[in-house]
Amino acid sequence: MTVDIIIFTIFNGLLYGMFLFMLSSGLTLIFGMMGVLNFAHASFFMIGAYLGYQISTFTNYWIALILAPFFVGLLGVMVEKYALRRIHKYGHVAELIFTFGIFYIIEEIVQMVWGKIPVPYEIPKILNFSLFEISGMSYPAYSMFRLFISIAMFIAIYQILAKTRTGLIIKAALTHPNMVSCLGHNVPKVFSYVFGFGCSLAGLAGVLAGNVIGTEPSMALLLGPIVFVVIVVGGLGSLKGALVASIIIGLIQTISISLEVNINDLFSFLGYSIDIKSKLNEFTSITISQLAPIVPYILLIVILIARPRGLYGDRDV
Amino acid sequence: MRKLQTVFIIFISILSLISCEKKDSKSSIKIAAIEPLSGPYAAVGDDLITQVEFYTEEINNNGGVLDGRKLEIIRMDNANKAEKTTELVRKAIDNDIRFIIQGGGSHVAKSIITQLEKHNSRNPGKEVLFLNHSAVTPSFTNEDCTFFHFRFDANTDMKVAALVTEIAKDMDVNKVYLFNQNYAYGQSIKKQARKLLTDRVPRVKIVGDELIPPFGKVTDFNPYVSKIKVSGADTILTGNWGPDAYRLINALADAGVKVKIFGIYIFLPNSMPSMSKNALFNPIIQIKETIPYDTEKLPDWLNQINKRHLEKTKMSSDTDRMRNMMEMFARAINQSNSLEPVKIAYALEDMENRGPYGSVRMRKEDHQAHFDMVTTVVEENKANPMIYKDKNYGMAYSTLNIIEEKDVTFPSRCDMKRP
Repeated sequence: MTVDIIIFTIFNGLLYGMFLFMLSSGLTLIFGMMGVLNFAHASFFMIGAYLGYQISTFTNYWIALILAPFFVGLLGVMVEKYALRRIHKYGHVAELIFTFGIFYIIEEIVQMVWGKIPVPYEIPKILNFSLFEISGMSYPAYSMFRLFISIAMFIAIYQILAKTRTGLIIKAALTHPNMVSCLGHNVPKVFSYVFGFGCSLAGLAGVLAGNVIGTEPSMALLLGPIVFVVIVVGGLGSLKGALVASIIIGLIQTISISLEVNINDLFSFLGYSIDIKSKLNEFTSITISQLAPIVPYILLIVILIARPRGLYGDRDV
Repeated sequence: MRKLQTVFIIFISILSLISCEKKDSKSSIKIAAIEPLSGPYAAVGDDLITQVEFYTEEINNNGGVLDGRKLEIIRMDNANKAEKTTELVRKAIDNDIRFIIQGGGSHVAKSIITQLEKHNSRNPGKEVLFLNHSAVTPSFTNEDCTFFHFRFDANTDMKVAALVTEIAKDMDVNKVYLFNQNYAYGQSIKKQARKLLTDRVPRVKIVGDELIPPFGKVTDFNPYVSKIKVSGADTILTGNWGPDAYRLINALADAGVKVKIFGIYIFLPNSMPSMSKNALFNPIIQIKETIPYDTEKLPDWLNQINKRHLEKTKMSSDTDRMRNMMEMFARAINQSNSLEPVKIAYALEDMENRGPYGSVRMRKEDHQAHFDMVTTVVEENKANPMIYKDKNYGMAYSTLNIIEEKDVTFPSRCDMKRP
């Protein structure tokens, strides 16, 4: 493992982690605000990717980058205002089931409009080149761009929440909605906008990632679970937790793919050896790299056992 | 008034019950085609069935089977899941469908074979035939062979042998990285590749062996690309197909890693929208039954069929095994003069059919089709490009070498029980 490979691995881990952060930051904000676990959050991500594709066929990528998250946010505001708000009085379970339904509806609508086959959403030509090379591994400019936007997004959100009056109102409405309402603020409107903003973050993640991982109707289903892992590990409602958890999970998943060690190696280190033909060998010869995709879920289980609140959370799951 | 309503309701019910009556025998012969039509593999499944439908139509336009009866393909979506497939096979059997066509996914084919084994042994006289056009794990014509299964594509042992023959000739290949999906199909490829490379091409060193979680679960291939780079490989041998294939190709191109890619289904036309120019960054060498672009080397009747294929489906012909499957199936029906799977199967095994380079032979012993193949490379080709859904991406396959049937024929471990 030379230094340049480590750099490449860390860069990719960071990139993947920031992508997860953009996807899950909206969800954790929404949950922190309203206690609504939005099952359809990954669906807004998918709509963002499709709108990014569609708008960039009419105009260009840059306009899509601005407009698509805006439209997804608008959709989120409407969903909250006209539907979720009415279901709020029936409790959290009802809200969860409703978002579950929205997930299916969005998936079907996407298939009806754009078909079941991946759409040719391409990286903009201006960014489709290799920015620099370190010993033969090239770093695409587009990945740098995505990383840059995700970091900028995090800084922006943090500044809004910590430094502005709007952020103050949002944070107050988080814990004392009644008092905030008594002070004259339109709390339901705040909720709507936070929901919309959370969804537009997911939409932005979609526009940025859709042309890399492929834009097709099962995107939401594939990425849904990992988002939940991130927000539970980070702590429900905590933005800082979502950032830390995303980066940890991004790095772990990327690094574990490079680890070819398995239990057999552990045994031979201790002096034992396992017969290659035995049934046990089928289990112990599994390398960490083969387990890489489930490593985040193992982390989830560990966190739920050891610290159910998550890293920075203050609500129990 | 009440009495009138009751009479009316009874009348409508009887009418609906009558209309549910089974259709008479002059109607079409139904064949269930089970493939993924939703999820990450929807594009692959859709193309597979479209091709089957085209070749079925060719049969129907040439007079159908028996006394002019037509074959009808019923599409069924299994979302690439074996459990869903079990339900669909059950549904097909309940609807009196006696023929199943499938190929996208060996995990699915395995479950169909197991289910049909049970059903056929418990229901003599109501057997169901399974025509497999693309599920190429070798065990289906070896340890798991069954009389009612026929495979029309060369299995992975044969295809890997063909690729290894190509590797033996290519002196630029010295360090091979095996990269496969972690299920029966990928594991067989890995085993056979290891065996043949060690036995037949000792100069080649295997520098890596990866099994990834299959079917689109991995979205980020960059870590794998860095492992490939670290290993110093100059060649990748892979059976990846669908999103697992195009994401690998894209990641290699993005990271600027130069390797030769030897593949079995690595480049499918439906991946072109997701890959575009990346497909030309590294040479992609694929083993195929034939390609439609060398029209001078191919027989006239095949050129005609390929031309109609392009007109009808708006895609260049990409396979030949579906044509063989439908032609041999139709001939078996006519030869046995029956629609009973048992009789058709007896006619189908040991049948020979016309092929691009010679005849296609269905081996009686294990129901595995044997034929000459070609190794091809994906190249830029603006003059005669591959067309996919009316678009052309400026590339096409070109022939490298013809691989003769005898070089890829292996003995079978099949112990078939015949009814």
